[in-house]
Amino acid sequence: MTRLRTRVGGGGSLHSGDELAIRRIRWTLAIFALLVLASTVKLVQIQVVDAADLAAVGERQRARTLELPASRGRIYDRDGDVLATSIQAATIYADPRAYRGTTTPEGREVPPAGEAAVVADTLAPLLEMEVDGVRERLEQDRHFVYLSRQVDHALGEEIAALDLPGIGVLTEPQRVYPAGTLAGQVVGFTDIDAQGLQGLEARYDHILAGQPGTLLLERAPGGLDIASGIRELEPPVVGTDVVLTLDRDIQHVAELVADQALETFEAVGASIVVSEVGTGDVLAMASAPGFDPNVRGDEDPADRRNRAVTDVFEPGSTQKALTIAAAVEEGVVEPTTTLEVDDAIRVGGSTFTDATRHATESWTVSQIMERSSNVGTIQIAEQLGPEQLDGYLRAFGYGQRTDLGFPGESGGLLMPHTQWWSTSLPTIAIGHGVAVSLLQLANSYATLANDGVSVPPRLVQGTVGEDGRLSPAAMGAARQVVSPGTAGAVRAMLEDAVHGEDGTGARAQVEGYRVAGKTGTARKPRTDGRGYSDEYVATFVGMAPADDPQVVVAVMVDEPYPFFGGLVAAPVFAEVMEAALLALRIPPDGSGTDLPTAVRLAAAHAERHAEEAVEAADDAAEVVETAQEEGEDGGDTDAAP
Amino acid sequence: MTAITAPLRRRRPTDDAATPPDLRLVEEPVVRHTLAYAVVMVLVLAAAVFGAVTLNALAAGASVEARGLEARVAVAEREYAALVAEVAALEDPARVRAAAEELGMVPPGPVRHLTLERNLPGDGAVPTTRTPDAPTDPLKPLLSVER
Repeated sequence: MTRLRTRVGGGGSLHSGDELAIRRIRWTLAIFALLVLASTVKLVQIQVVDAADLAAVGERQRARTLELPASRGRIYDRDGDVLATSIQAATIYADPRAYRGTTTPEGREVPPAGEAAVVADTLAPLLEMEVDGVRERLEQDRHFVYLSRQVDHALGEEIAALDLPGIGVLTEPQRVYPAGTLAGQVVGFTDIDAQGLQGLEARYDHILAGQPGTLLLERAPGGLDIASGIRELEPPVVGTDVVLTLDRDIQHVAELVADQALETFEAVGASIVVSEVGTGDVLAMASAPGFDPNVRGDEDPADRRNRAVTDVFEPGSTQKALTIAAAVEEGVVEPTTTLEVDDAIRVGGSTFTDATRHATESWTVSQIMERSSNVGTIQIAEQLGPEQLDGYLRAFGYGQRTDLGFPGESGGLLMPHTQWWSTSLPTIAIGHGVAVSLLQLANSYATLANDGVSVPPRLVQGTVGEDGRLSPAAMGAARQVVSPGTAGAVRAMLEDAVHGEDGTGARAQVEGYRVAGKTGTARKPRTDGRGYSDEYVATFVGMAPADDPQVVVAVMVDEPYPFFGGLVAAPVFAEVMEAALLALRIPPDGSGTDLPTAVRLAAAHAERHAEEAVEAADDAAEVVETAQEEGEDGGDTDAAP
Repeated sequence: MTAITAPLRRRRPTDDAATPPDLRLVEEPVVRHTLAYAVVMVLVLAAAVFGAVTLNALAAGASVEARGLEARVAVAEREYAALVAEVAALEDPARVRAAAEELGMVPPGPVRHLTLERNLPGDGAVPTTRTPDAPTDPLKPLLSVER
């Protein structure tokens, strides 16, 4: 009735069915609006509020960033020959989880992928390791263990091809020193992660190392790259190459001769420095015993020292050239000034003597240098005074490090003159009570060779960028220490010390060249600092050609027997200087040899070697014959009946 | 007189000018070719999908090729580095010396220099150790900015 009434009556009002429909529509709209609102809220939250975080999460799931190691720069000698470089090596690692049964979070048992014992048996002979050692590593409770690092790349490929469970192969750079021991202490070495640890590898690590790059990839769950995915490459910056001033051939001769000196004179060490006059370039810096940076671990750590810059010693009589140079520069004496020289002098309560006894002689300053007279030099130093001597020695580079910045470099020892004792002046004047490195000593003589101009020594000629061209290193500031006249006068005295009738350095002569140099023999201070020991240091420093010096060679032999510098260090100097002059193609300045004499000498030399070769061949033939006879005898013995 | 009259019909006022006609002429409805439209749409869609898949496949192919090239470059670089080290090791003066001694060679005697008593035609000429166009060692850096 109501329904009918509603339909019939009501005039303009709606029927009850329409109201219901409207109500339903309204509810539907409300629900729909709520859904839309909820969706919108969620959308805003995803797209606006949490967009960055969600994008990051997604990227983390897909993207993988690989670090691209930078290739470490090479180290070259002055001619571009490689002294240190990097190659690609293989590193073998294992995931020990592969050899253990595991349980998934759902409680499912996962059997091991392989047996550690089987894998160890396979890998041990390839890696030249003990089977037990490999197995022990494989059974560690870790996710990652190295089995062997930086093995030959071909071996790595061979192991990868075996597809052993839980075994992986990585490629990583390995630093190698192709010339082995050559300049080992100078070049230094890196650790297994290519971080410079010693020598120039450590000194220039910041430019050799380069900057590693990154590669950002998007990868599918299977590990494959997504072709259209993100691929952002930040290429690594290759390390800068460093070009040294060392000459490989001269360095080789210096090391060879230093080793021979070590053996011949039963010394505990020997160092040699070869410098180019005018540029300060160090052409060779050898220390014996040497060491091979490729094979580290078994050698004495002391052998890694670059003794030429890290070790100091008393220069002995080689110091006299500097004392006399200071005196000549100050006008205290001239080369021709004559002094009455006894064989002993008493100063500050101590008596100083010459190496050999002699009557009181009237010697010129040149003769004092030639004979290496302690007494004469002390007399000159007393006229010069401590302040002047101290000042000149420092100007020559004593008491301070050079500009090399070599790790572990010593600046030597020279007390300020205000702290000198009464015996310091005579002591220091003849090279005692003062300590220098061989490089400092070589550089002081290079100053005399360079007309009194001191040029800081350098080991690095420059760097090579990506264009392959050399960017020369800045040269140190040159200083005038003594005048060219003084330097020339001292050089002439030093020439007499080698070529003079009474010179102590006769064994330093090089055929065809005039050599200027000075011997030195100094007792080593006791390690407890109280007085001197019974051990000696033999030195020789010189230059050639004497008229226009191009090369300076300094030699120090530690605790040799015999111990005189003229007997031990001078011949070492001669061998190295000859090789350096030849390598640098420096024309001779000494007395010439006419053609017939030269041919005769060469023929005699060839004949001598030919005879030696024939003798050697005869010996070899005899050995072979004996071996054959023994072999025939052995054959009879082994023959079956 | 009685007359039968029809009830009065009130006529709605009409305004012929303002009232539209009850009937109007309509045009024959255009028959839309919905099938063709659907086919075109399907083709466009298919072309788009095909294009996208093709581009993706090409990109994947290029990616694979790039990976292959990168691998070849890596191998070449590794071999180059190994060769550089090998050359340096072979040039090591100690190795050369040992090899020479193994071949029966001996160190040369003292080097002697000849002083000529008269000038030769070549005297005064500027010696050169290499011609300007001589090739440089590719394994060595250019150590002179002039080169």
